[in-house]
Amino acid sequence: MSGPSAPRTRPREPFDRRIARAVQAVTGRALGPHQTAIVRIGFSLTWLVFLLRELPHRHEMYGPDGPWSWELARRLTADNRAFTVLMWSDGRVWFEVVYGLAVLSAALLLVGWHTRAVSVVFMVGVLSLQNRSVFLGDGGDNVLHLAAIYLVLTRCGQVWSLDARRAARRSASRAAVKADRGPREDIAGPLLWTVLGGFLLATTWFSDVTGEWWLPVLLWVLWLGHGLWWLVCRLAPGEPRTLLDVLANLTHNAALVVIMAEVCLIYATAGWYKIQGSRWQDGTALYYPLHLDYFSPWPALSELLGASGIMVLLLTYGTVIVQIAFPFTLFHRKAKNVLLVAMMLEHAGIAVLLGLPVFSLAMISADAVFLPTAFLVALGARVARGRDRVLGRRSAGTLPEQRRAGEEHGPRTLVG
Amino acid sequence: MVSTLWITEWADRDRGGMDADVGRDIDADVDRGVETGAETGAEAGVEPAVETVPAGSAGGGIMALSLPYQVVAAVALAVAGVFVCVHLAMVFLHVAPSNTLTKRHGQAVDDWIYPEFEQNWKLFAPNPLQQNVSVEVRAEVVTAGDGRRTTDWIDLTAQDAEAIRHNPLPSHTQQNELRRAVDFYLNSHSDDGTPNGTRGQLSEDYMRRIAMLRLDGLASLEGADVRRVQLRAVTRPVPAPRWSTEKNDHTASYRDFPWWRVTDADLPDGAARSRAEAAAPSRTEAGR
Repeated sequence: MSGPSAPRTRPREPFDRRIARAVQAVTGRALGPHQTAIVRIGFSLTWLVFLLRELPHRHEMYGPDGPWSWELARRLTADNRAFTVLMWSDGRVWFEVVYGLAVLSAALLLVGWHTRAVSVVFMVGVLSLQNRSVFLGDGGDNVLHLAAIYLVLTRCGQVWSLDARRAARRSASRAAVKADRGPREDIAGPLLWTVLGGFLLATTWFSDVTGEWWLPVLLWVLWLGHGLWWLVCRLAPGEPRTLLDVLANLTHNAALVVIMAEVCLIYATAGWYKIQGSRWQDGTALYYPLHLDYFSPWPALSELLGASGIMVLLLTYGTVIVQIAFPFTLFHRKAKNVLLVAMMLEHAGIAVLLGLPVFSLAMISADAVFLPTAFLVALGARVARGRDRVLGRRSAGTLPEQRRAGEEHGPRTLVG
Repeated sequence: MVSTLWITEWADRDRGGMDADVGRDIDADVDRGVETGAETGAEAGVEPAVETVPAGSAGGGIMALSLPYQVVAAVALAVAGVFVCVHLAMVFLHVAPSNTLTKRHGQAVDDWIYPEFEQNWKLFAPNPLQQNVSVEVRAEVVTAGDGRRTTDWIDLTAQDAEAIRHNPLPSHTQQNELRRAVDFYLNSHSDDGTPNGTRGQLSEDYMRRIAMLRLDGLASLEGADVRRVQLRAVTRPVPAPRWSTEKNDHTASYRDFPWWRVTDADLPDGAARSRAEAAAPSRTEAGR
């Protein structure tokens, strides 16, 4: 980390030079590879846990005969034009297929298998189920909904993914056999692309009942983009490919900025509205959620925490201070990290005290975009060591994070 | 006017929905939140651009391109930049309190945001909910033996609370379904109980179907034919903390919904099936 002293130690660079470097940075690399990967892992895990937990309740929540019936959903989505493939058919089979695919896509995104394609399926699953029964969600669903859309635009599989492992293996074997161009062709990528193409045709066919126009358009652009990337990698590996790489980096970096800004907006909104409330001002606010039937799974624990007026005051004020301060601390690394830890701990507390584990996991996943790279790399190395120990494997040693970000950029799309 | 109608259609915020008392608005000027690229960007390399990015040497980036390609990349950069700024501005205006800009251009903001980017982060704000709202139902049933009778009030929220108690991972069906449905109902009806537009109608159907689903699971109504149902919302203020000098009114207030005739459309068969399927695990959860 450069720290604030870095610019002072060297002669000041001219403005245009700095701009050029910045432009090179946002076009040359997909920034924050570990941050985007941890966000990907966090949200896919959240959705996977949620879907598995709700498996016995899935019909009641999203099924055609649930209380929010298919017909009611049709009437609402005809009005609000929210994206959901569940409006294609009111059959039970279709519903089971969509739910199953949502579970599968969450699991595959978690491990980073053909990340770019799977992230699209993941988004379609999240949007379809959530928009089908919008009155079931809470803040956790809301943040997941947004993250699912933004993640599609990121290169979130650069590290900690099967994609990264495959790319590392390929570049290793390419180094070994210099003459050989492309050791084993990946079949799964083109196959996936073809299958998703069929799905895309269906989306276009049903576009009247699928939601607003821009989402199918986005899906087409992504699909064609993946195809183009595959072609260019094989036919024009020179400048055209570099250009596509630049475009992908740009999109990634833009989406990363949006994700980070979203997290700040979440805390800013939550904090600034709170200071307007009399209960947050007099320091008793925390007491009330602890005594709501819907948010007190452990009444004895809630009672214990709510019994001390001073404790409630400290936590109430602390919450507001942390939420309002957080966006501003981004300009100071240490302060940011302290607040980040505080927020994650608070969410962990909320998970237990208010009985909102899925909400908390989603919020922690969003916070994770601000975790420092050094911490994430160390965490990754530790997890890898733990995994190797459990599996009784000898550690590979050389590449603790499977693949260093920014080095040789192998094809990272589904067909790569 | 069409546009205002559309806004009201959405005004009660479908997503999110942590309990909050929506109160007064004052200006919360927080658009600093938008400029956040700095930190992670710095860690990942935006700022080290000042020191270490090897221009072009990684074989990528705009420096590695010839002029025509550079033009394309530059245009893409500009488009991406503008898009990010516009999107963040729209999201900011969406979550900010009503202000001069949103009063003038609210429609443009809504067009951009709804439905997919809708968000509500007033988590327990401005004030946390300070009352427990219970939904109770009673039914007019016909049984083979003693003809037509009206049941006592059955507390549906108490069923949820029971299911949530000592449950480390409550389901949305227990924590959100009824809670948000009654919110939706109250938001889409005027105080005298008239529905506002289609959403009012939808919320009535929804409440009725939830009620029928819950009644379906009751052993006491086994074999009875439910003809009509009535719901009511009971609001009980959370008592003031013991350590506080405040005194608040403990008395519950009631809001009766009209009697509704039950039709076949209100009987959620499939959901009942799923209930039966869920019954086994949820019973063990309660037993723990």
